[in-house]
Amino acid sequence: MEEDTVESSALKVNAAENKEKIEILLKATGNAPILKTKKWMVEKEKTVAAIIEFLRKLLKLDSSDALFLYINQAFAPSPDQTMKNLYDCYSTEGRLILHYCKTQAWG
Amino acid sequence: MANDTEILHYLWNGKLAVCFQLDEQEIHGIQNPEPFYLMVPRMSYFPLVCDKVKKHFLKHVDPEKQELEMWLEYKDIPLKWNYPIGVIYDLFTIDNKQVDLPWKITIHFDNFPEDKLIRCSCRDAVESNFMSSMKEADMLKHRSQVFATMQRHQHSQLWTGLLNDKFDQFWSENKKLMEPTEGNYFKHIPIHFYQSGSTSMTQTLVKPISDDGNQITLGELIKLHYPSMDNPKVFTHGICIPKETPVQWMSEHMSYLDNFLHIIVV
Repeated sequence: MEEDTVESSALKVNAAENKEKIEILLKATGNAPILKTKKWMVEKEKTVAAIIEFLRKLLKLDSSDALFLYINQAFAPSPDQTMKNLYDCYSTEGRLILHYCKTQAWG
Repeated sequence: MANDTEILHYLWNGKLAVCFQLDEQEIHGIQNPEPFYLMVPRMSYFPLVCDKVKKHFLKHVDPEKQELEMWLEYKDIPLKWNYPIGVIYDLFTIDNKQVDLPWKITIHFDNFPEDKLIRCSCRDAVESNFMSSMKEADMLKHRSQVFATMQRHQHSQLWTGLLNDKFDQFWSENKKLMEPTEGNYFKHIPIHFYQSGSTSMTQTLVKPISDDGNQITLGELIKLHYPSMDNPKVFTHGICIPKETPVQWMSEHMSYLDNFLHIIVV
């Protein structure tokens, strides 16, 4: 029983941690419109899909327009990947840089 | 890379017996559809093996709903098509007890769970998702130096090897991705962590060797990531892995085809 309590309190800590925010930097690539504000604080539990949706609204894209997001100008993270995972693996100087593009840039 | 090729064959041939059934609420008409049985490769992805399943059940679904995207569910949990099939199966392992085979999966066409699943518009979506994972893995292992120098036809060997279940075709190219480019070790180990009973995944930077130059073992890695857990068991491909296994060896021999290790902590 004691183990249960330890684990559930660990889960609570995790839940609180995921509400914490991290800094992301949104950079335009190719023909994508540039944002006035590039730096955003987002919750760790936000997914790539949520960021793409957020960007689509900011950029006022048509529903027919495609939008791609890239890490390290190298690969497109899966839509269900979380900001926390990406930040833990690919952040530099305390922020996560995401490139966005209206056409496929890096495959 | 991989000198122990026997294990590569062994894991490639891993299959699961699945029994697909249409959700009772979605049966249209008086005739109940027969369940559909299939042996599916653990290493593959559901959208790549479910064409026949869809065809079998489609005639039993309301014609107005036949155009909707088919999705899968087990014990009220929607199954992510972008995880390898073997990973999804192992997520339901509890206390050393694996799900009984055949694995009874429920088919749905209606009420797509938008908040839990990403849509899979077509086979191309699976391909681009798979290729992106490989690229990411190569960035972690070799700072993107290998995948980018491969030709387009070499990339397509990887994909068609998976699609057509051709081991030699896949490994003729994949072996290049599984060789350390500097010394005996990858820069980082591509790895996804899961806890059984949950579909969420965590990922961190994992090094194959410690600062003092020793190989990091699975046991050490798990202790680092799950400090509060008391002696957890670690599964991949349905196998409980000994704690003394070096993570570099695991990465070369026990990665799924997307070049990531998928580790389930029970």
